[in-house]
Formats: sequence, structure tokens, C-alpha cells
Amino acid sequence: MIKSKKLLALGLAGGLVFAACGDDDDSSSDTTAEASDTTAAGGDTTATTEGGGGETVDGAACEVTDVGGVDDRGFNQLAFEGAQEAETQFGIEARVLESTSDADYSANIQSFVDEGCDIIITVGFLLGDATAEFAGNNPDQQFAIVDVGYDPPIDNVRTLNFGVGDPSFVAGYLAAGMTETGTVATYGGVNIPPVTVFMDGFVNGVAYYNEQKGTEVVALGWDGSDGTFAGNFENLDDGERIASSFADEGADIIFPVAGPVGLGSASFASEDGSVRIIGVDNDMFEADPANASVYLTSVLKKIDVAVFDAIETVVVNGEPGGDYVGTLENEGVGIAPYHDQEGDVPAELQDEVTALIDALIAGEITSDGS
Amino acid sequence: MGLVSAPVDEPSDTPSSADAERPQRGGPPPTSVGPGEEAYLGTLGFLEESPENKRRARNIGIAYLVAAVVCLVVFARGDGGVSTFGISDDSSFSVAGIPLAWFTAVTLAALGGAQIMRGTGKWTAAAASVAAILFVFTFMAWAAAGQSFSLTGTLQDALKAATPLVLGALAGIMCERSGIINIAIEGLLLSGAFTSALVGSLTNIWIGIVAAMIASCLLALLLAWLAIRFSVDQVIAGFAINFFVLGLTSFLDSRVLTRNPDYNSVKTIGDIEVPILSDIPFIGPILFEQSFYVYTALALVGIIGWALFRTKWGLRTRAVGEHPQAAGTLGVNVIRRRYYNLAMAGAIAGFGGSWWTADVGRFNENITNGRGFIALAVVIVGRWNPFGALLAALLFGFADALALKFSFLGTGIPSEFLEMAPFLVTLVVVASFGRGARPPKALGQPYEQQ
Repeated sequence: MIKSKKLLALGLAGGLVFAACGDDDDSSSDTTAEASDTTAAGGDTTATTEGGGGETVDGAACEVTDVGGVDDRGFNQLAFEGAQEAETQFGIEARVLESTSDADYSANIQSFVDEGCDIIITVGFLLGDATAEFAGNNPDQQFAIVDVGYDPPIDNVRTLNFGVGDPSFVAGYLAAGMTETGTVATYGGVNIPPVTVFMDGFVNGVAYYNEQKGTEVVALGWDGSDGTFAGNFENLDDGERIASSFADEGADIIFPVAGPVGLGSASFASEDGSVRIIGVDNDMFEADPANASVYLTSVLKKIDVAVFDAIETVVVNGEPGGDYVGTLENEGVGIAPYHDQEGDVPAELQDEVTALIDALIAGEITSDGS
Repeated sequence: MGLVSAPVDEPSDTPSSADAERPQRGGPPPTSVGPGEEAYLGTLGFLEESPENKRRARNIGIAYLVAAVVCLVVFARGDGGVSTFGISDDSSFSVAGIPLAWFTAVTLAALGGAQIMRGTGKWTAAAASVAAILFVFTFMAWAAAGQSFSLTGTLQDALKAATPLVLGALAGIMCERSGIINIAIEGLLLSGAFTSALVGSLTNIWIGIVAAMIASCLLALLLAWLAIRFSVDQVIAGFAINFFVLGLTSFLDSRVLTRNPDYNSVKTIGDIEVPILSDIPFIGPILFEQSFYVYTALALVGIIGWALFRTKWGLRTRAVGEHPQAAGTLGVNVIRRRYYNLAMAGAIAGFGGSWWTADVGRFNENITNGRGFIALAVVIVGRWNPFGALLAALLFGFADALALKFSFLGTGIPSEFLEMAPFLVTLVVVASFGRGARPPKALGQPYEQQ
């Protein structure tokens, strides 16, 4: 009996260590491994860029993700791709810490502050308060944050924002032009401004189409202040069920603004066959090859471009702070190609979409419904 | 048998009350051990005139009256539109919200009055069900006033959302009926989801499902081993397994699946339309245009429900969960039975986990996201009875599907509240029905074979 108790203790301890490894790899040790992987790759490219006379800067760009994780096929992943691009171009080491809960934000930022990163990139609205706090306490530490603006601006935080209302407006117009049932739909992950700004643009785009064409296309899921939300960014089956529920009410084009949850909607669409999806953040035709055929287009939010720009501006050029806004004009946001659905979108509508983008850039139309 | 059932009765549930309510339940055999048969409809033994029961009867009457007031104050003052409930693509029916609210209010008030004055006796359960359905329907008519939505689709989604919960709960029931606490349902589901996604991508979904069942079965055996061989605290062992699986699958997800998207792409299993039956109006689309998981889950509820209360296996399993010493004395191999049952429970949970893969075709970190814990609540609300668990899971699924519909109908109910609603409903049901729930007696106690 005593023997077996010892054995048990050993087993349990082993199990816990194993579990801890698994967990750790999720947050902290992932960094080192990820970083060393990418460092190896980066080392090569650094050599080539050096050979090509490129600029090489030592240092580290460190990303703290929100709970979506770095492999979310959405904005966390895009931000890291931006950092990796900087690694390739400038030899700045790209590191990442994943947050698995809200409690991790401060801890992850703290550990990067301790590691002496040249710039800490925090991804997402949810990290807004933690970032402001650390920036205040560490005036010499440079930060960049995605999807947050501060008023008044903080000197050592570069804010990266995106005018995603405009491309969403275009997507809404396109959806209204493409629907056969006269009903389209959108839903979000959580009711927070960076999510609802897409939904606002989309619904306004539908309204603009109705106004122009005298149609009565209905947009479900968002009424300007409240609507349909999965309540999370993780449950793919929620996305599946929401899409099925929308389809019951006749929607044939759905615009999910919910990160990975949208993948569930795409899965429903490819099974159902009568629903199309408009992707978000990434060009989902490429990011979700299993369901590529259901994506009409995607609303692009080029976080990778913005993060790369932030690293270049802050670390390479040494200009801290500032505010970056991605627009249709500077191509920080945009509309993805139609890919396989090119043939389904009438040429006339395609021209209207192009003209609409130009009109938005020129300021002749605004996406806020006015 | 007598030996085993003797220690079962609670003070408040005297043998006479158990005897008295048996005939009206259609007479389950007297082999009943444990709280199972009393699940749901049969629990209300108001025939007894004990003060306790009188108080309960009065409280239920008060609940009716409160509901009637809600109908009058809230629902009867809606904007008075007509709600249209879609049955199929080309048929629907409409209900005028305000007259319905008045009708419901009067009915509830009458029921409440009758309940308080003299009790509704053996009709209590039936009356409560009718009142609940009427109240929910009035609520739906009020919320959807002036609009239309698909009632069939909502119920279809409800059944679908309930499926993984039912499977998880069945695994929980199998464990707990044999006396082992199963906090690890979440971990078992998650390992099933991961294994079926990985193996399913490399081969096909059906082999993936089998692999998921094996993986979760092994994990359940680990739980059994810790609990039986080493008498580890079962709650702690269960939590350790949950965290272990979450950590391991997240790690493998980021290391293996993310880097090789081909390993995380499974062809989903579509819905199967049962010929002829699916043509039945209303019922057909809800019950017979579902995935094979729904059919299997329903069949498993029937099989396990029957086996637990009607077979030798069931009797022995319950004996092991209620009074293992007595069962052991009578020649049941308690330990072996616990291992067997946990292995089966693991296989069921693994199958339940593969539901996610078959549904959305891929794995995502923490894809089960706490549904295993809801399944655990379903076990308790369902009183360790498969049929009760099915009802509880359906209730949760219905609240979920209805909340979703209401979120885009423009009901004016805040979305945050709607997201919370299914949990709130579960909480209310646990609070009101959980009172008489009694776990198997030997639950969580280690057993030393003599």
C-alpha cells in the first residue's frame, strides 16, 4: 500500500508537470520556442538582407495576444505576421506571449517589460487598460496597441486603429446587391466597439444600397446599438448554430465579426450550400481553405501592415508614440478579391463596388450612415 | 434487493410517500434504488399532508400567481402586435399577444388559487407543465410581437444544442451511478474533440470517432485508477484531468494542428433525413432532419435509461453506487464494475466530444469551452436519470436557441441578458427542482475491497 502511494505521488507529480508543460507552452515557454524557431528563420533572412545592404537593427518586438491566441487566423495571428515580417526585414526578434485569460494580460506585459523588449505590441481592446497602466509606470518602455485610442494620447504608446467601417460598408452594399432572398445578416463575438464598428458599417452599407436602388433588403443581427452576439470568440459550434438560425429566417449572406467563431458559420455554409459568408480581418478564402468556396469576399483589416509600420517607426526610426489609422486610401483596410465567386458577382455590381470605394476615399460618401 | 434499497430513503421521503406515488407513475418495478425514478414528473408527492408538503404546495401556488401578475403587467401591455410562428417554408400560424397574455394570466391565477386552496394533488406535475408551456409561449408571443420567426427552426436548434450536453451527461450518470464523481466530463469531451479532429483528418471521420472514444475511455480509466486504486479525492483527480487535457490539447493544437492545417480539416457529417418520418409536419423537421449524433444520443438515453432501471446490470450498478459494501457482500465485484462503467462512460464522452468535429470540421483550442460543466449541471438537474438529463439538456438548448432568435428579432431585450438566459434558466431550475435531488449514496467514497 505504501509503495503504491509513492507510485501514485510520482504519477500525479508527473501528470502535473506534464500538464504544466502543456499550459506553459501555451503562454510563456511558447515564446521562447516560437521565438527560437523564428530566430533561426530570421537569422537566415537577416543575413540575406544584410547582404542586400538592408538595414539591420538588434532588438526585440514582443506581442501579447488577447485570449484568441496567436493561431486565431485573425488579428492576433496577423499582428504576429507583421512582427515576423519586421524580423525578416530588420532582424528584430519577434516574440509572442499568448494570454489564456484576462488575468494573463498584466503578467505577460510585465514579463516583456522585464525582458527589455524594444517595443511591446498588445493586441486588442481588452488589453487597453493594462497597456495604459504599464505605459504610465514605465515611461521609457515603448508600446503599440491594436484597436485602442487614448484621449489624451500617451507619449510612449503608438495606437494602431483601422477605419473598418468603410470596407464593411462596401461589404454591406455588395451583400445587399448579391442576396437572392432579400435578407442578409451579421453578428459579433462580443458587444465591444472594435466589433460593432464592422457591424455598423455593414448595416449602413445595406441601407445605402436600399436607398440607391429602392430595394428593401433586410439586415438581421444589428440594429445600431444591440444585436446578435456569440458571447465569446472561441465556440465554433455557436457560429454554426447562429448561421443556421439566420438561415431559418431567410438570410443567405452572413458577415460574422467573431474571429474563430465565424469558422463555424463557414462550416455551416459549406454544408448547407445556400448561404455565403463574408470573412473578416484576413482574406478567409486563403485562411480557411476547407471552406474557401463559401466566402464571397472578406473585409480586410491589415493589422500585419500596421504592426510592421509600428516596429519600423518606433524601433528602426526611433519615433515613439503616434497614431496610425488604416484606411481604404493607405490600404490599411480593404476588400478581398472575390476569388472563385468572381463569376457570380455581376460585372455591373463589381463596378459599383469599385466606384463606391473611390467615393469613400474621396469623402463623397461616409460609412456612418449620414 | 431489500438490503440495498433500505438505506436509500431520506427522512422527508418516507416509504409511505414513495409507495403512494408509485401507482400514478405507471408502476416502475419495486427494484428501484436511488433517486432515479422520481426524476421530474414524479417528484411531487403532495398526497402527503406533511407540513413540508403543504408549504411546498403553497409556494407553487404563489409562483403561479406571480407568473400571472407578470403576464398582466408585462406581457399584456406589449405593443399588441401579432406574432407569426413559422412551421415550415409555406405554413405558419399567428398569435395575438395581448389576448393570449390575458388568457394565460387568468389560467395561471385559477391554477394558483386552486393550488393554494386545496392543492392539485396528483395533477400537480401535469398542471405545472401546462402552466410552464403556456407561460413560455406567451413570453415568445410578447417578445416577437409584430414579427415572425421559425418555431420549427428554433426547436431544431434546441435539440441540436442539447446533443453534446446529453452525451456528456450520460457519461456523468454512468460514472456517478457507480459511485465515482465525474468532474472530468469537460476533459473527456475535449480529448474526444481533439482526437477525432486529428485522427479524422488523417483517415476519415468515422475512424476519428472510434479513436475519440478510445482516447476518452483511457482517460476515464485513468480517473477510475486514481479513484479506485489510490483513493485519490475524486473531485481533485477530475480537475487534474480537465487541466491536463486542456493543456495538452492546446499545446498539440499550436504545435501540430496550426502548423499542419491538413491535420485539422475533417469533412463534416451532414444531417440525415429519415424517409417518410421527416415529412410529418412540424415534428418531422425537428426530430427527423438531424445529424446522426442526435439520433444516437436519443437512442442512448433510452438504452441507458432502460438498462439502469430494468436490467441486472443496472441494478448492480446502482447498488455499487448506493451501498458498495452491501453489494460486495452479495457477491458483486464492486471494483471491476466501476472500472467497466467508467470505461463505458469515457467512450460515450469521447463520442460526445467528436460531435464538435463532426459539426464544424475542425478543432480549436478549448473548443468545448465549459460545456462539460454544463453537462455536469444537467446530470444533477436531471437527478442522475438519463430521461431527466435529456429534459434538462433540452431546456438548456431551448433557452439557448430562443435567446439567439430573440437577439435578432429586435425584441429590445439586451443581448448580454440573452447570452446569460440559458444559464439563468438552468440556475432557476436547479434551485426549484434540485431540492429533492439526491446523489447516489456512496458517491465519492473510496471502496476497500475486503
